[in-house]
Amino acid sequence: MSDGFSRRVFLGNSLAIGGGLLLGGCDSGAATQGAAVLTGKPVSGGRLRVGIIDGDQSGNLDAHKPVGGGIIRGWALYSKFWEWNTDVSTRLALAEFAEPNADASAWTIRIKPGLEFHHGKTIGADDMLFSLLRLTDPKLASPFAGLVGAIDRNALRKLDERTIEIRFKHGQSFYPLDETLISFGGIVPTDYDPITNPVGAGPYKLKRFVPGQRSLYTRFENYYKPGQPYADELEIIEFKDQVSRVAALRAGQIDVASGVQAEHSALLKADSRLQLSVSPTTSFTGFNLNLAKPPFDDVRVRQAFRLLADRQELVDRGLNGFGRIANDLYSPHDPTYNHGIAQRPYDLEQARALLRQAGQTDLRVELTTPPGPGVNAALVFAQQAKKAGVEVRVSQVDGAVFNGPQREQWQVSPGSTPARGFLASALHNDAPLAIYNRSNFHDPRFDDLYRQALAQPDLALRKGLVHEAQQIQHARGGLLIWGFSDVLDAASVKVGGLTPEQTTFASWRFDELWLNHV
Amino acid sequence: MNEPQTRKGLLITLLVVAVALLGPWLAPHGPTDMVGPVYGAPTGAAWLGYDFLGHDVLSRLLSGGVSVLWMSVVAASLALAVGTTLGLLAGLSRRRLDQWITWSADVSLAFPDLILVLLIVSMLGRAPWLIVLTVSIAFIPGVIRLARASAVAVAGQEFVEAAQMMGYSRRRILFKEILPNILTPLLVHFGNLLTWGVGMLSGLSFLGYGVAPPTADWGLMINENQAGLLVQPWAVLAPAVLIGVFAYGTNILAEGIGRSSAGTGAKQP
Amino acid sequence: MSEPHCNTPRTPAWLSWFVGRLGYGLLTAWVISLVVFIATQALPSDPARVILGPDAPLDSILTLQHQLGLDQPIAWQYLRWLGSALRGDLGVSLDSNVPVSHLLWGRFGYTLVLLAGVIAVVVPTALALGVALALRRDSRLDRWGLSLLIFLKATPGFLLAIGLVLLFSMPHMDFLPAVSILDPDQSLLRQLRFLVLPVWALSLTALPYLTRMVRAAMIEALASDYVIAARLRGVPERRIVWRHTLPNALVPAIQGVALTLRTLIGGAVLAEVIFSYPGIGTALNAAIQMRDLPMVQAIVLVITLAVVLINLLADLLTVLLTPKLRTARRVALIQRNRRGITPWWRRSRGDA
Repeated sequence: MSDGFSRRVFLGNSLAIGGGLLLGGCDSGAATQGAAVLTGKPVSGGRLRVGIIDGDQSGNLDAHKPVGGGIIRGWALYSKFWEWNTDVSTRLALAEFAEPNADASAWTIRIKPGLEFHHGKTIGADDMLFSLLRLTDPKLASPFAGLVGAIDRNALRKLDERTIEIRFKHGQSFYPLDETLISFGGIVPTDYDPITNPVGAGPYKLKRFVPGQRSLYTRFENYYKPGQPYADELEIIEFKDQVSRVAALRAGQIDVASGVQAEHSALLKADSRLQLSVSPTTSFTGFNLNLAKPPFDDVRVRQAFRLLADRQELVDRGLNGFGRIANDLYSPHDPTYNHGIAQRPYDLEQARALLRQAGQTDLRVELTTPPGPGVNAALVFAQQAKKAGVEVRVSQVDGAVFNGPQREQWQVSPGSTPARGFLASALHNDAPLAIYNRSNFHDPRFDDLYRQALAQPDLALRKGLVHEAQQIQHARGGLLIWGFSDVLDAASVKVGGLTPEQTTFASWRFDELWLNHV
Repeated sequence: MNEPQTRKGLLITLLVVAVALLGPWLAPHGPTDMVGPVYGAPTGAAWLGYDFLGHDVLSRLLSGGVSVLWMSVVAASLALAVGTTLGLLAGLSRRRLDQWITWSADVSLAFPDLILVLLIVSMLGRAPWLIVLTVSIAFIPGVIRLARASAVAVAGQEFVEAAQMMGYSRRRILFKEILPNILTPLLVHFGNLLTWGVGMLSGLSFLGYGVAPPTADWGLMINENQAGLLVQPWAVLAPAVLIGVFAYGTNILAEGIGRSSAGTGAKQP
Repeated sequence: MSEPHCNTPRTPAWLSWFVGRLGYGLLTAWVISLVVFIATQALPSDPARVILGPDAPLDSILTLQHQLGLDQPIAWQYLRWLGSALRGDLGVSLDSNVPVSHLLWGRFGYTLVLLAGVIAVVVPTALALGVALALRRDSRLDRWGLSLLIFLKATPGFLLAIGLVLLFSMPHMDFLPAVSILDPDQSLLRQLRFLVLPVWALSLTALPYLTRMVRAAMIEALASDYVIAARLRGVPERRIVWRHTLPNALVPAIQGVALTLRTLIGGAVLAEVIFSYPGIGTALNAAIQMRDLPMVQAIVLVITLAVVLINLLADLLTVLLTPKLRTARRVALIQRNRRGITPWWRRSRGDA
């Protein structure tokens, strides 16, 4: 995550400035891959070097409380009960059975037989319970415990050597356990310690870790997917900013760069030694209009704001064209998504009319944003708002202040959430159980529908509930979701197995990537 | 003023000042208007192309000088005023006060100023007046030392002793004998302060701690447009060149003044 | 028998003066650490929130704050830090849970290598150039040289670094790497090519001041009566330059080097960021961003102590190399001569 600080001027080592000028003019955007990718069958061997942006954090290796690059490193070290499909649904991974009961108030999870951790211990129910208890331990104070805050720690039960049962607090239901537990629910043995014994069941086991710089891993021979991972070794190298990482990629010092900046796409596409993979994810970006602060307590003002946003321009300028417009609703990939709601148009007239009706001509609002990629979109939006007679003042504050005690009190603030299903995404945004609700949207009918959906494993029935909930969000919610962002990953043409998907994890699937020997 | 270097320096400096002050009127578009494609190449309508959000680089360039200018001038002036006062106070008064002021100046000088400014600005925010204040605080200790040393040196010379013997009051000696004669080194130092001020302010903006967007500012432009350097270099090069030229001009000016006063043998240390 | 009033003291004056300065330097370092501590603590931002990220619930944050000792009064936190620091324990980095000293010395080592490289390049170059220009004063070489130096001095350091980087991004110029990704496994000596560009960039910023100082000192020395007399006596020019004037130019050069080092430590921050060099500058930046307070305080302390040490050594060398100061009888004489002449209203009877 690049922030305002570590900046560096970029130098490619094979393009002069003149060449650069030419490039700007002839970017046709035709091919997405720079050259013929060496596809075909996976090949074993080699050391796969992945470059990640760690910003200023040194990071750690904790499975349940990863910091900075620790999140990506977790994909090498740890496995979970489920894993992500390319369409943001989940499939079983370590578990051979994971199902909720009829009203989703309890989940039963059974692990596959004969699975081991990196140090040889067989995975059993004790380890499963230990992992869950650790994730939700208030003394560990993991920020990701909030996602599974519904789990009742005292009601976790071991049913047999490979099976556990999970129940939720106050007998409530919680259908999206898979999506919320996947991300940070790495299964670790009972003798786990993030610093002295960072052991898991992931595709690679740790060989060496230098915080803030790099880490080295070797293949775990007893990984639960036979024949995988492919590369003998994995090395994750941390960069402080995007520019130096692209330079390293082009110089062949790394093989994969996860999450490259859109500005570099033209350069990367033109380089025949590299491939660019553009994942059309359903991660969204938007603005939170705070219902607790005037004038956004008036639904007409909120609708006016949603109408005055030129979404295509926001995508073009804010995301450099790498994205698709959105309709103020999240999770379009979810089977329960309401495709029947028409795309909100860009309508300045209507926006002005609504503002007049609400008595808010000549409106001034403050948009508070942390430094980083979201600033561009904020600036573009401020420009657009001018055309409707609204003055938006963009105020940048420190990341720590932005997420500080005032985080639910900003008048307008940017918000983005990675690709997740409806129920899980709502936990980040406007659900009644949300970890934090920057738009302070508390609609009784919506809350009721949400709670019912939480308890409804049946897809058809849940669909009806979510459809209505989304209509409410669209008509009177506080989220101005203008676009879905693409994730760009770049890699050497020697790397195989890198395919675009709807999740953000295309280049994190270390058990699927391989190195062709050229 | 006869020295060719002084004239050259003055000319260059005034040229950049003119661009900065008159620029906003001459700019074809507003500095925040998004009128073209992101990182668009230069065309007939936009001589320097478009920047990271599609602003016209030329317009933003013309509007971006004022903040660099006023901030460096105010920072330098503030540092000069406060530093001179404290330096004179230190040099010409009781030993205790002198020691105390000198000691504080030394302590502040012991610390690399960029780091000090970074610490303060990164924590307290990017309000322009705060940045200016911090930068001038970083410069003050140097001015104190210079003012003090110059004052002490001048005060030790015969004409001052003569004035004292003739019975003039201290205040009169200060204003009529000492101050005019330390003016030249202080002026030269002011030129240096301007140069360093521009460098530090643009460096801060480059690192992301200067003025906040959407204000147009040359240092900020370098920061904002780095990612597209290979695609659209003018967005970075144009403000960089102007910053460099301004720093160069003030520097030459300062040198010229220093040289000419040394040449004319003015009474100074 | 009574001794004459001018007997030599038991310890040489310069030693007592040095000890005094040492104490003064330590006091300075302590004051700065206090100021920085207060600055970083009394801030609106909160390390616990930064570490845990935006999704953290309030209880996680409060728990972490308690674990980090952030909810104690500031004075208590400072004293605790000072106490451990004096024992050599600089705390644990909030960001990575690794002891600060462990992280620090590695990064500091890299920066020291960088600075050593710069000094190794700048000092000989400045001496050679300064002498050459002084000897050919007002010639065309001198004028061009001075113009170039002024240009280098005026351009902000980071622009010079960017310019260098641009230069080496042109095709056929990629024999020097633009990014300094040092492999911590290999020794630095095998990766020296990563140092070339940062050293060069910093040298360009440091060169003007030192060169001009050497040049000015040489010019002054060449114009002294002694040299004129030597010339009249027919002493060969070369001997005059090498044996008589150059040593005199060295003493102010020492102070110049000290000043250069002090400025370099600050300038290294920008250079390290531009070249992504893993030194103490980038470490400080990262620590500030992450509100990693133990790291910030430790780095500031180390930098301050380094600066104090540099000043001390420079002053010591100056005193030892100046016969008048070295053989001074009293500490007060050294102090006074170091600071400038005594003003007329402070002269008391009987002092030199």
